[in-house]
Amino acid sequence: MRNTHSIIHICIVFMLLTLIGCTSHNVARVQDYNQFAIKTAQAGLWNEAIFRWKQILSIDPENALAYNNLGVGYEALGKIEEAQAAYQRATELDPDSKYYRINYRRCRLHIRRSGDESKETESESSDIHIEDTTQD
Amino acid sequence: MVNFLSTYISNMKKHWIPLYKHIISCIMLIFTLLVCSCGSKVARVPIPIKVQSEIDINTYSNFAVLPFVSDKNNSKIDDIPVEIGSEIAQILRSTLSRQKHFTIVDKQETDRLMTGEEIDGDNWLTDTERLSELGRYFEVKGLIIGSYRFTTDTRPRRYYGERYSYRQQRYVMDYQDYMQKTYLILLRVMILDVDSGEIIWDEGYLQRTDEAHSLGSLVFSQMAPKETTMRELSKRALAKFTQDISPHYEKEDRFLIR
Repeated sequence: MRNTHSIIHICIVFMLLTLIGCTSHNVARVQDYNQFAIKTAQAGLWNEAIFRWKQILSIDPENALAYNNLGVGYEALGKIEEAQAAYQRATELDPDSKYYRINYRRCRLHIRRSGDESKETESESSDIHIEDTTQD
Repeated sequence: MVNFLSTYISNMKKHWIPLYKHIISCIMLIFTLLVCSCGSKVARVPIPIKVQSEIDINTYSNFAVLPFVSDKNNSKIDDIPVEIGSEIAQILRSTLSRQKHFTIVDKQETDRLMTGEEIDGDNWLTDTERLSELGRYFEVKGLIIGSYRFTTDTRPRRYYGERYSYRQQRYVMDYQDYMQKTYLILLRVMILDVDSGEIIWDEGYLQRTDEAHSLGSLVFSQMAPKETTMRELSKRALAKFTQDISPHYEKEDRFLIR
């Protein structure tokens, strides 16, 4: 009986360690991809950077950081609608990050300045809410 | 028991206090590393942002540029030739011609159509009816007109620096007096809507440049022709105007999160 208990305990510990190992491996992969993507973005290779950030999202679909960076990438390539959607998703996932809100606000200002109001696809109510909270 | 306690405390003092110091320094190091890593959490990257023209380029796509006139308050300098106004207009023509959105009437055509027209500084820019009529001759939507004001300003200045003194065997503070001559140009550029006769653009563009002179070189510079300086300053001012009225890209920062 004692042997059975100890075997169960060992199994549980082993499973936990495997889970922790897998998670930390994913986190490390996400960080590596992001670091590489930022380096390529700083070198002006935005398509490569976007490809990496999309890979991060395939690993972790709720990654606000990747959405924000993807938004920057899209905006740099002139894909404003995609950029706006990505920024919006980032601010939805992490409403407390001031950098996400700053990027989102600048993107919307850019759209307004360029006079293309139709590109502002999402509802005005969410815009107003974010506008109010980005007075930093 | 007392002996044991006193030995224990003395041992603690001997071994643990240095260890304690090490722990504190380790914590401080970790804290410093943390602060450093927090500082580089964000990467600022400039991205190109398209800035639209400040005029409706769909409506105003073809222009005629008429010679610029001297500002009536431009009384300080008398030796500027009148042709400089035509030269400024030609600089603007060539700058605008490089923009794909605009069609500009060339110099020969402008000269041909302006033959016999009297350009005077007093009411040339205000007589919109006459200008609209001219615009209709040119068959354009917009007429670019303007004035220039060129001034110079000379002031004594003192430059402080260091020089090596052989007598004192060290560097000593020293100064040098010189004359600073500043050239200023103010270009007023206007766009007239030929159909309605309204001014749709009226902006002043100020450019300046400085020269350092000794008394001798200042005298020579007063006599030297100023057209080259005027041309260069006009080019800069007109480049700013062209940027304002044509779509262009500017850099704007975005934040990438590490």
